[in-house]
Amino acid sequence: MPTVRLRDASEYPDPAQRLFELSKIWFNHDFKEPAAMSRVMAWDPEFGGPHGRAMKRAMASGEFTRGEKEMVAAVVSGVNACEY
Amino acid sequence: MTGDAIWYEAAHVVGVTNALNVAADGLAALPAVTSMLPPVTEDDPRPEIVTLFAEIRAFYARPEVPAVFRFLARDAGYAADLWGAVRRAFDDNRLPRRLKEALAFAVSLTTRSPWGSAFHLQEMRRLGVGDGGVMEVIGVTQMFSSYTKIADTLQLEPDMGDIAPIDDSPAPGGPARSG
Repeated sequence: MPTVRLRDASEYPDPAQRLFELSKIWFNHDFKEPAAMSRVMAWDPEFGGPHGRAMKRAMASGEFTRGEKEMVAAVVSGVNACEY
Repeated sequence: MTGDAIWYEAAHVVGVTNALNVAADGLAALPAVTSMLPPVTEDDPRPEIVTLFAEIRAFYARPEVPAVFRFLARDAGYAADLWGAVRRAFDDNRLPRRLKEALAFAVSLTTRSPWGSAFHLQEMRRLGVGDGGVMEVIGVTQMFSSYTKIADTLQLEPDMGDIAPIDDSPAPGGPARSG
């Protein structure tokens, strides 16, 4: 059970709706409700904005593909024992 | 990156990376330990050690056997079996060795393993990963060290598990799933 109440997408202001649309594009998945992490990041755009840009910069294809980087991310999450 | 096979491979890399790091950082790097339990020397004449060390040097294309393997070779049979698993995990298979070294580097960084971070960084570089590629892996490792802690702090529940398709193929060599 999350320690906070995750707000529905409809409870977020317009700029966050744009972020949720970008999240769908990023994951190429039509979420019924934005992923919990997307909603957490949209809570404070002054944090979530640069954090998300850094993530997209890190995850963009370069010497390693986006897919390879998703595997690195999964491994890091696993080692951190993060269930989410 | 679909299908379960590559994820089994990745998990094996994570496991043996951590196993090596535990012994390298926790034992082989500590003079207080190696004074009591000295590593096997590079020129040990026992045939099983000669064979093992030759394989390790060849696999890593370096003249010296990493200290952790010399430490583990105190039990030659155990070291040979472990090495078999390490070599299998890191060798080119469905995942290329270059990516496996990147995964091992990320694991080592995440678990704060000085030996593992340095060793797998050297291996990445040896296998052709440039400065940009190294920074890419560091960036991904950092970002997901952030996301995971945010998720844990808020105790978020998984909600993205249905993005990836289910792989219905059998285990290697096994029959197809019935029903």
